[in-house]
Amino acid sequence: MAAAVSNEERLFSLVLALLATETGLTKADILSSVQGYRQRYRPGGGNASLERQFERDKEDIRDLGVPLESIELPADQGAVQYTRYRIPKGEYDLPADVTFTPKEIALLDLAALAWREGSLSGESRRALMKLRSLGIDSEEPLIGFAPRLRARDAAFDPLREAIERRRVVVFGYLKPGEAKVRRRRVAPLALVQFGGRWHVHGIDLAAKGRRTFLLSRIAGAVEETADGFEAPDGQPAEEAREGLRAVFHANRALLELAPDTDAAARLGSRGAPAGDGAVAVHFSDLALFADEVAAFGPEVLVLEPAELIDAVRARLAAVAAAHGSTDG
Amino acid sequence: MAEPQPLRVQDRLAFLLALVPYLLDNDGVSVAQAANHFGVSAQRIRDAVELIAVSGVPGETKAYQPGDLFDIDWDRLEERDEIAITHQVAIDDSPRFSAREAAALIAGLQYIAALPANADRETVATLTAKLTRAANGAPAAVAVEGGTDTRLGQVQEAVAAGTVLVFDYLNGREEREERAVEPLRVESVDESWYLRAWDRSRRALRTFRLDRMRDVRSSPDATPERPEDIELPERIFQPSKQDRSVTIEIAEAALPLLADYLGDRPHTEPARRGWVRTRLRIAHLHGLKRLVAGRAGLLVVVDPADARAAVHEWAAAGLARYEQRPTR
Repeated sequence: MAAAVSNEERLFSLVLALLATETGLTKADILSSVQGYRQRYRPGGGNASLERQFERDKEDIRDLGVPLESIELPADQGAVQYTRYRIPKGEYDLPADVTFTPKEIALLDLAALAWREGSLSGESRRALMKLRSLGIDSEEPLIGFAPRLRARDAAFDPLREAIERRRVVVFGYLKPGEAKVRRRRVAPLALVQFGGRWHVHGIDLAAKGRRTFLLSRIAGAVEETADGFEAPDGQPAEEAREGLRAVFHANRALLELAPDTDAAARLGSRGAPAGDGAVAVHFSDLALFADEVAAFGPEVLVLEPAELIDAVRARLAAVAAAHGSTDG
Repeated sequence: MAEPQPLRVQDRLAFLLALVPYLLDNDGVSVAQAANHFGVSAQRIRDAVELIAVSGVPGETKAYQPGDLFDIDWDRLEERDEIAITHQVAIDDSPRFSAREAAALIAGLQYIAALPANADRETVATLTAKLTRAANGAPAAVAVEGGTDTRLGQVQEAVAAGTVLVFDYLNGREEREERAVEPLRVESVDESWYLRAWDRSRRALRTFRLDRMRDVRSSPDATPERPEDIELPERIFQPSKQDRSVTIEIAEAALPLLADYLGDRPHTEPARRGWVRTRLRIAHLHGLKRLVAGRAGLLVVVDPADARAAVHEWAAAGLARYEQRPTR
């Protein structure tokens, strides 16, 4: 055949062929007969690059959520095993009773739009295509509204993959107040954004308990190990969220905000009056909140707790010292 | 919806798998209607239909005989620009979501659930259950606790109604003044909310933080003064010609935290161990001193001298508030 078959056509043809087969096709069947492979197939061997192509294609197809199965079967004679591939239609098709209303479609459009930047943008885009496939028109979308979720932490993608694959990870973690990065072995269960920051919740295997870590404090790369783990019962993301909420409510600072300043506008919006002109503001993490408060310079005076006063003073003193002398 | 830029082959495959069931359910749909429904160009629909029409399964002869291929009413496509599939193979239903696609939508839903007049908890729970059932594999647990702002409801309404908003605004230069704006879009980045609007007195597009607005009121005036062809740039923060540049040293690990200011790949030179030197563009020193004071131990301004002095003064003034005051 003169014209080369496009990657798109080869993948599409592979999906169609594997959906159409009940018993499955062997790799030899596929390479010799499916559009896009057969044109390059050499009977009698020398198909190594084509085989590698097939391995990549399988991964690309599975990545889309297509249940491409490999069934290992003993050969009729001899000891050689062979594998048959197929896509069981019952597991490919969207269950018939899953339907969406136009209002739900509009909400899902917006949900997908929130991920237009960063690591889950491709997934959201493809999810939308699949929703469109159902032929349901979206209710009038919410105009002039563009939410945006970001996952800029380098640890986000490797952790998400490890959660999907149920693999134990190892990473360096710098706890505030500790000078040294410590290695942690964690069975990751969920990623949770709280207070605008991403956290990973999992089982700390050394401490033998559930822990929540801030992604921004992970130092260096997240390494996935070969060790798998059983996911515990329950809804880890919900449990982590509850835990973070509890910490947030327990941490309360009393602040004096200089009137008509940026601090009064922004911290004041988040807090509640607490008498004597002071404002009570809740926070998740003392070190991060101290950074935030220090940025407001003289616009904020921390009244309590003492640990926060110390932390803010230490930060301001460090910044003043680093910018003190003229020679740098 | 804008056409997504570089289309990966997986996106193309997902599109074909989504399009076929839609075309089967909407026999004779026009190319324009299908393009509108999927939010793509008419040409992309035509290209996909032409590919589908020549695709199929190897069949018993393994030779892609006519009965093994999809077929369409070619005359109808050419004469009336309408799509009718006349022969179908292998697929008829929409594909399931991948676990990751479902996870992205579920997390996006939780994020937008924080908005007034949007999704209530019950709707989110119903949709989460549907998406979980519609996915191949358990969605990775990704949860988001969205923040909100008390001004959001009113601002969102004004955007939808196209009415003018008037409010007191504390700008980045620490000046408070009344602004009258034509609201165009509410945007969020994680926990922060912004209004992008046409500022009537500045006669230009401006971005306002919701938490810096005070006394927000809607004006009945809905006659737009802005130029008709005004377009919102995709990025919230636009560099300006008046920006000045300062030299900073930053801990390498902190570089991603400044991506909003430095871009994703800033030009850097090595400084002391673990630190790099780079240039930062800023609108004015008011913003710089806050930025630096909030990142103690991670970021130091090297020059010019007035920038160093501004940072020093800010931190020292903050510190002085604690020193003046007897401890309680």
